Amino acid sequence: MLKVAIVGCGKIADAHLSQLQRVKGCQVVGVCDLEPLMARQLYERFHVSQYFGDLTELLTVAKPDVVHITTPPDSHFDIATLCLESGCHVYVEKPFTLYEEEARRLIALANDRGLKLTVGHDDQFRHAARRMRTLVQTGYLGGRPAHMESYYCYELDRSSYAGALLGDKGHWVRRLPGKLLQNIISHGIARIAEFLTSESPHVMAYGFTSPFLRSTGERKIADELRVLICEEERTTAYFTFSTQMRPSLHQFRIYGPENGLILDQDHETLIKLRGARFKSYLEHFIPPLSMAQQHLGNLITNLGIFLASDFHMKSGLKYLIESFYRSIVEGTSVPIPYREILLTARIMDTIFAQLDAQQREVVPGHLALQTADENGRPSSLHSTP
Amino acid sequence: MDTNAVIARCFADERRAIDESDRDTFLIGPDDLILITGATGFIGSRVVKNLLDHGFRNLRCFARPSSDVAKIDALTGGACGGMRVELVKGNLLSRDDCSVATKDAAVVLHLAAARGEKSFPDAFMNSVVTTRNLLEACLEHQCLRRFVTVSSFTVYSNRQKPRGRLLDESCPVEAHPELRGDPYCFAKTRQDELVAEYGKKFGIPYVIVRPAYVYGPGNEALPGRVGIRTFGIFLHLGGSNTIPLTYVDNCAEAIALAGLKKGVDGEVFNVVDDDLPSSRRFLRLYKQNVRRFASLYVPRFVSYALCYLWERYSAWSEGQLPPVFSRRQWHAYWKKTHYSNAKLKTRLGWAPNVPRAQAFRRYFEACRERRHA
Repeated sequence: MLKVAIVGCGKIADAHLSQLQRVKGCQVVGVCDLEPLMARQLYERFHVSQYFGDLTELLTVAKPDVVHITTPPDSHFDIATLCLESGCHVYVEKPFTLYEEEARRLIALANDRGLKLTVGHDDQFRHAARRMRTLVQTGYLGGRPAHMESYYCYELDRSSYAGALLGDKGHWVRRLPGKLLQNIISHGIARIAEFLTSESPHVMAYGFTSPFLRSTGERKIADELRVLICEEERTTAYFTFSTQMRPSLHQFRIYGPENGLILDQDHETLIKLRGARFKSYLEHFIPPLSMAQQHLGNLITNLGIFLASDFHMKSGLKYLIESFYRSIVEGTSVPIPYREILLTARIMDTIFAQLDAQQREVVPGHLALQTADENGRPSSLHSTP
Repeated sequence: MDTNAVIARCFADERRAIDESDRDTFLIGPDDLILITGATGFIGSRVVKNLLDHGFRNLRCFARPSSDVAKIDALTGGACGGMRVELVKGNLLSRDDCSVATKDAAVVLHLAAARGEKSFPDAFMNSVVTTRNLLEACLEHQCLRRFVTVSSFTVYSNRQKPRGRLLDESCPVEAHPELRGDPYCFAKTRQDELVAEYGKKFGIPYVIVRPAYVYGPGNEALPGRVGIRTFGIFLHLGGSNTIPLTYVDNCAEAIALAGLKKGVDGEVFNVVDDDLPSSRRFLRLYKQNVRRFASLYVPRFVSYALCYLWERYSAWSEGQLPPVFSRRQWHAYWKKTHYSNAKLKTRLGWAPNVPRAQAFRRYFEACRERRHA
């Protein structure tokens, strides 16, 4: 039985505890928050055995095997370091750390101590995302991806979190190097990083404050971001973060030399895109029919999962936790490779460095505009401004 | 706290005076400082107006940095002699801001709340942690004479009531609010407990005010006790139930009196108007005066059965559907109940200044305006 503890008792901690109650072979031995009232409310609602206002006390008294860190991102590195030094495996909510360097140091420490780490990119483990991974691994694309598109949108006006952020000039999100973007985009970037093979893809980022946000008087937060990622081997990817486009997509498209796939997280659907064309007019009739059939298939699959009672909003979180715990207990590989964690962090570092470097330049309202270097090439990860 | 956001206004025209008859029954004088949290909100702005009307001349209005201060500006923009209405912007999650806000305050009327929060931690943080910060700040200054916390009818379990269908201040509150599936109920129950605990432990003189559904211009929604809109149809769940309502100005009067009247420390007051309508009548009036729409009456036994089934399915499916409907919820909102405001009238001398007909007229008018806006 793995002994589990939660550090940070805000909204996402609720999601962790809800799913932990569904995971077999673990027991939550303590929850901890710097604000003891917050720790107490979580302890009461989920019938946890103990609550703490001090992390060291949690580690020494409850002696957890695994710690889930669900605090604001600027505390992830210090808390994870302390947990690893105390001999605990660590699940860190996204974003893993503020900088790649911190991620690298945590992974080195975990490896030194024979411990394991993972990051809260649970969207990659939802039902349709897992079906997509299986298809890619079994060669459906017909080779290495040629191009990917990742959309990760966010409706500012529908979020109480956004209201708190915009209304509070001292909100912790504003202190992050990438501000709002840093707290959200890692889900969408990690989807791309999973299928990149190069350690140093080129990154070009363009970000700005939307007219909507500017109308509220906000000038310092970029809420629109477009990124072009390009590998030497010519796999390319677009990443789009938008608060304004509708529908507010959470979608991933991946195209290989033969076929493509469209994963829609909101609809929990996976659509196969056949590369070969049909003869003559059949191209106008058979593909729409195939699409209709696939959508129907997705509907039936979703209904089946719902009836089997495994269609929770955070089903990916449960799967990721189970996979992580299995890797600890059985000594198998971690569900999210460390390479992917580092590459995601590296791409994000580059994006924020580019936005930051050009924040005071160019057109008013445009936070960043990354241009090609002196050789006409886009800036690479190694040429961080 | 952003010091630039602290605005003080002093006016130097005619004074309003407290009635002589009231002066003896009030805990504080007209120049003692009263802090109102949530002062720019739906009820808070009316409380400020009520206090000014009562002749209190030293008010500190606390609001979030993002709050629209137009309502307070409108109240203080006129000529009011010798008055000091100070607007302080800050965050109650900051202990420093709470310390600044409570300095020299003789009475705190704590209205700021996490209304509409859908997550338990957010609701709890913005209700309970903020209240704790305010109470700690009051202890630090040692000048507090009354702390009024504004709670809600939602904290009552509406079960095992001592007097049958009558819900009054003696009725039990939810013993396990975490099982209600309602973050607001959980937060408010714990907030009340915290205030009582500080009263007992540190001698903070407090009063708990529990308003029924507060309606009026500024809150044009239909009460959930009448019914809910889902998938394009309005399910009328209230039927012949009496709907506990209080018009916003009447509620503001009760909150102000709870902060002012002597001899009520440690008491709880339910705030509900006289002459309450049935859910059916309220819905009919709404349709006649605001807009027509289709509604489907759901008898009480059916709504109870549906709540029971939802609760069971939520438990069986390990939360695939969140437990937002449950038997606890049904008891609190849709069970046939009668209400009393006797304690409010006898102990605080409260009376609903705005009679029901007038209150409804204003409310429906505001609903129509909002609809056409």
